[in-house]
Amino acid sequence: MRWGMVIDLTKCIGCYGCVVTCKAEHHLPPGVFWGRGVAGEVGTYPNVRKQFLPVLCNHCQEAACEKVCPSGATEIREDGIVRVDYDKCIGCRYCLIACPYQRRTFLSRETMSKGYYGNQEPTELERKGRELYPLQEGTVVKCNFCMERIDQGIEKGLTPGVDREATPACVNECVARARVFGDLDDPESEISRLIRARKARPLHPEFGTDPSVFYIQY
Amino acid sequence: MAIGTKPYEWMVKYTPQKEWIDRRGLMLWLAFFFLELGAGTFIVASIFNNLLTMFIGWLICAVGGGGFHLFYLGRPLRFWRILTSGKFSSSWISRGLTFVLVFLVLGGTHLLLALGGTSTLWLMIAADIFALFAVAYAGFALNFISAIPLWNTPLLPVLYTILGFWGGLGVTLLTMLAAGATAAMPNIQVWSQVFLVSFIFIVVIYLLGIRYQASFGKNSAVKTSVREIVIGRWAPLFWVMVVTFGMLLPLAVAINAWTIGLAVPVVFLSAVITLELLGDLAFRYCLLKNALYAPLIPL
Repeated sequence: MRWGMVIDLTKCIGCYGCVVTCKAEHHLPPGVFWGRGVAGEVGTYPNVRKQFLPVLCNHCQEAACEKVCPSGATEIREDGIVRVDYDKCIGCRYCLIACPYQRRTFLSRETMSKGYYGNQEPTELERKGRELYPLQEGTVVKCNFCMERIDQGIEKGLTPGVDREATPACVNECVARARVFGDLDDPESEISRLIRARKARPLHPEFGTDPSVFYIQY
Repeated sequence: MAIGTKPYEWMVKYTPQKEWIDRRGLMLWLAFFFLELGAGTFIVASIFNNLLTMFIGWLICAVGGGGFHLFYLGRPLRFWRILTSGKFSSSWISRGLTFVLVFLVLGGTHLLLALGGTSTLWLMIAADIFALFAVAYAGFALNFISAIPLWNTPLLPVLYTILGFWGGLGVTLLTMLAAGATAAMPNIQVWSQVFLVSFIFIVVIYLLGIRYQASFGKNSAVKTSVREIVIGRWAPLFWVMVVTFGMLLPLAVAINAWTIGLAVPVVFLSAVITLELLGDLAFRYCLLKNALYAPLIPL
């Protein structure tokens, strides 16, 4: 089993809903984004168009971040999810440097001390968030494909990618239904069929990291 | 194209790495420098059997290299995990810091035993071997990052190793000048000149080589990196500190030694060696500061 995601750029409307949902789901501090939108222009005048690219951790199977991690904090689970064990991370940031997609964030003291309302006391929601999602200062964080939802869903007999309760928040939220989640190892899963039919490609395969996130391009 | 640093230019234009050079990242820049300088000094001093300089090298490596490494970490108290994680097989930080620790233990033991006159040549050779690994470690740690083409070249470990030895020779010369022990100085000066010429040669090959790699399909971020170093924002640092003080000034002293043979005052020689070390430090800064990631767009 290898969990993966397809993002259909022909459907994506660039609403940043996935970015905001991810922040809310994981109670991320200000300035920390596990999912991001890259908006740029491609082509040369007068043939120019805007390109919006939602990015997240690619959960690579040849992950540079996992190889360079000196403490074993970054590991690839059996289901292909690349996770960070915050209790093991020493905060050397070698993984952050090694990621060609730049999808990792270091939680500095400054980042962790900031609340959403400037110098005011953290709100009840923010306090609760820190309890539910105990991020640690001085460690590196990144998208985990909402593995808590996946693990709890599977325990309940649900299917990730099919049942909302077991599916990553960004996939559930996508108003344009541009994101599909599922098992890349199952040739009959929706995601595998979509990759074959629409010739979905990973982001910059030349890096040789074997990503689990695929893009359907224009 | 200038280096994109504005938030909306993130991974749309060439994006610089910041974690290992900005703010606390400066500590890692210093950590790599002191680690190599200290280990290089230890090796050079051991060849010339100079216990005091070996100790200075050991101290620079332990306090400067090790200390800055520790201060840089987000969770320094978990440092021991590097040794027990079993990631030696794939992580250069794990390998490098293991080499450094073994070097510090062997080198420290050798120095203690040598004080009592009971150390052996084999212990010193073992310490030197691990010191050599420590000298080369930063070059390999950076070279492994395929996402940054400025670093991802086999010349980088060679360059860092040469810098480590060259710095080591400089510190050894400085110590001998300070102690007035001039007997072995001519030999060290010759080696210092050899490493100076090697450094100049490798820097030219390195910058030209990676610049023209871009023309053969390699990630084009490297073109911008080299341009930033040579004619861009960091050009004054490169031309003044690295080229003038780090290369040309020591080269002028070397040419004087080879040709005219004018006596160089000790103070001037010490100043040249100090500037040489600052040139080394500045070059490392240029390499870390101008390391760029290629944009994600266009796909």
